Amino acid sequence: MTKKTSRIAIGALSLVLGSGSYLAFAQAPGPQAAAMSFFVTSVGLGKGGDLGGLAGADAHCQQLAAAVGGGAKTWHAYLSTQARPGQPAINARDRIGTGPWYNSKRVPIAKNLSDLNGDTVEEARLGSNLFKQTALNEKGGVVNGFGDMPNMHDMLTGSQPDGRAYTDNADHTCNNWTSSGAGQAQLGHSDRTGGGNTSWNSAHASRSCSQPDLVATGGAGLFYCFAIN
Amino acid sequence: MFMMACCNLVDLEIKMKKTTSVVALCTLSLLAGSGSFLAYAQQNPAPRQPMSFFVTSVGMGHGANLGGVAGADAHCQQLAAAVGAGGKTWRAYLSTQARPGQPAINARDRIGTGPWYNAKGEMIARDLAHLHGDTLELARMGNNITKVSDLTEKGAIVPGLTDGANARDREWSYMQEHPESNRHETLTGSTPDGRAFTDNVDHTCGNWTSEAKGNATALRENTGANAQVGMSDRNGGGNGSWNSAHGTSGCSQEDLGRSHGVGLYYCFAIN
Repeated sequence: MTKKTSRIAIGALSLVLGSGSYLAFAQAPGPQAAAMSFFVTSVGLGKGGDLGGLAGADAHCQQLAAAVGGGAKTWHAYLSTQARPGQPAINARDRIGTGPWYNSKRVPIAKNLSDLNGDTVEEARLGSNLFKQTALNEKGGVVNGFGDMPNMHDMLTGSQPDGRAYTDNADHTCNNWTSSGAGQAQLGHSDRTGGGNTSWNSAHASRSCSQPDLVATGGAGLFYCFAIN
Repeated sequence: MFMMACCNLVDLEIKMKKTTSVVALCTLSLLAGSGSFLAYAQQNPAPRQPMSFFVTSVGMGHGANLGGVAGADAHCQQLAAAVGAGGKTWRAYLSTQARPGQPAINARDRIGTGPWYNAKGEMIARDLAHLHGDTLELARMGNNITKVSDLTEKGAIVPGLTDGANARDREWSYMQEHPESNRHETLTGSTPDGRAFTDNVDHTCGNWTSEAKGNATALRENTGANAQVGMSDRNGGGNGSWNSAHGTSGCSQEDLGRSHGVGLYYCFAIN
């Protein structure tokens, strides 16, 4: 995007959002409001970074969605896996369809992959519409964040800030989501608060892959789920 | 149990000091009790850095009329001096737009080079590039301006989205009497890169001299002068931008309140 168009876009955004709080706008969905296509898992799987691999995590998303009437969509966890012999890496951003995605109150979360992952400086500076009051669980609940008891804002992602898998030799995915002991998982913050940055998907690493260690830094083994259709 | 103890403490505090915000103190107390915060503090035994960043604890009371940038700077300096930080030179994070004979001023060019620290000595940003996300990598990660770190000069959290929620929490008269109500909209007049707007719309309320009412009764329909605002709690505004989420309904104190603002802004020390 050129500088000129970005300024026009920003100007247009200001006009569209006008003067009111965006939340007021967002809380009054129009007639075309879309069905839920994004949520934070209301509960984890309870075994630290062992989610039963990507397949297990996806099944958890699907099950939670189905319990609130969202089972007709195909749900994928926003998780990357790292390359292993015979297994290429999988990028979280490549698993979740193309958007737009809406939370359980039909509030838009991101328009597309570029908006979600901040693929241009302009997009990355603004950020998507994912923050504490919009990153709801499938039941419409706000996920506890920094300052709440207990804090559960650490989201498993295993991803770099651009939504892709790590390419170094360190473990960032609890051995591709099969370890509940050794290893580490890269975490984002659903409230975009803490860790010295405001990253939703790549704020810091976990201490290990055990459930107690996930809890210790403000987590519960929760993760983001997106509908691909 | 902990909450009760916390709120008793707050009550005592309120009796001693009228301006103290209940919500802010309660949240602070909870934070102090949270494991990750303690762990963080314990890992940082280095001497506390002096404050070089804060959000104004109070607005100036005349909407977006701050007496120009000079008036806004003086307000920063005065608030800082009241808490013993008057030895530094303070600047408001505000842009002004070009006018005949007056070139535009970019907020980012007014605030020194950092690093900047809040009232608790926590780093807000290392430098201008970190603060504004000047590269894709920096922009994706963001700076450390969050609800729990962008404190007032008194070290209090600025109430944000859903704090003090009430049917009247968009009315200036109510907000004045209820310091716990949401006031996350922070005046900047700036684009997301921290620079002045270059279009023909007034995004700075007459370069911070106007408290004129907006030209629409309905929210989001004002097409006249407004102030671009950021979200101090990174919550709301369609993106959570700290410095450029959207424009206000107008420039009056009442207009700022309609979208949860009371005319607060960021102050940075340049030295």
